[in-house]
Amino acid sequence: MIIPIRCFTCGKLIGDKWEYFSRRVKEGEDAGKVLDDLGLDRYCCRRMLLSHVEIIDEIIRFYETGKQQQMRPT
Amino acid sequence: MKIQILEKNDISMRLLIEGTNAPLMNTLRRIILSEVPTMAVDDVVILENSSALQDEFLAHRIGLVPLKTDLDTYNLPENCECKSEFGCNLCRVSLVLDVEAEDHTIVVRSSDFKSENPTVIPVSNEISLVKLAPEQKIRLEAYARLGKGKDHARWQSVSMCTYKYKPIISVNTELCNSCGECVEACSRNIITKTGKKIEIRNLENCTLCQDCVKACQETPKAVKSSWDETSFIFAIESTGALTSERILREALNILDGKLVEFLKQLPVKKT
Ligand SMILES: [Zn+2]
Ligand SMILES: [Zn+2]
Repeated sequence: MIIPIRCFTCGKLIGDKWEYFSRRVKEGEDAGKVLDDLGLDRYCCRRMLLSHVEIIDEIIRFYETGKQQQMRPT
Repeated sequence: MKIQILEKNDISMRLLIEGTNAPLMNTLRRIILSEVPTMAVDDVVILENSSALQDEFLAHRIGLVPLKTDLDTYNLPENCECKSEFGCNLCRVSLVLDVEAEDHTIVVRSSDFKSENPTVIPVSNEISLVKLAPEQKIRLEAYARLGKGKDHARWQSVSMCTYKYKPIISVNTELCNSCGECVEACSRNIITKTGKKIEIRNLENCTLCQDCVKACQETPKAVKSSWDETSFIFAIESTGALTSERILREALNILDGKLVEFLKQLPVKKT
């Protein structure tokens, strides 16, 4: 849904790292290097970001389009 | 007992402790994991929530946000003089979240929290709590209290607390033919080869995997890997709620209190 606040296994804070991570990976950088820069050195925390899919962005799109349709004159 | 600091900053700390034993190290580790109190939200009053996440989901996320903790000012709710279920100024902090997305989709972040006490705030301003589409709104009040890791993971002060024996790796120069197999095998780059000599450096990174011993072709083995049962490498990584040093000091105080309590109980049992 949305990036978890903490790593499921160890409890390290990861909720503030997703946007930075996904931006740099989208720009074509190696994910492993970005994770190293973020200071995530345990594999439990690394998989949290590597395997994450931000589904809330897909869901929010329905609310956004619903809003636009409402505003359209009938 | 001899303590040497290998690495130390506000978040993490690594110590080399010599002249002690595993039970003491484990006691310390377990107290740090489950007894050092930190601040976390444990009650959320949701006044309005039209976001894509349900109330429970949102409350759970808010609870997990680590808060900067002031252990000198605040009391554990069970030890507070107020004895009230709702709490008082010395055992509770309220944080208010009031956000509305107007015409753009926004991300609600931990920096949107307005805290009653400006020193008790989330450890990071960038934690994304939820996303709001246009016209969606969140209005809630969260109450943070001190708590212990044994009650819920959100009160755990550390994201890692481990200890290991101090490794000992020795190369017998009479048996070694400098083939370099052990250098190849070591995944932690502890064994290096300079010229014909096999050298060992950064020994504290060794995980005692024994790969170097397995890789050695000589019989008997030229590389020997063992550990010192009285020396430990103790590592702490804080969530940011308390400094690593404060966590260790607090754990020692708690252990001290427990031992005093234990001694007090002893004479009673004798009679
Ligand atoms: Zn982790
Ligand atoms: Zn109180």
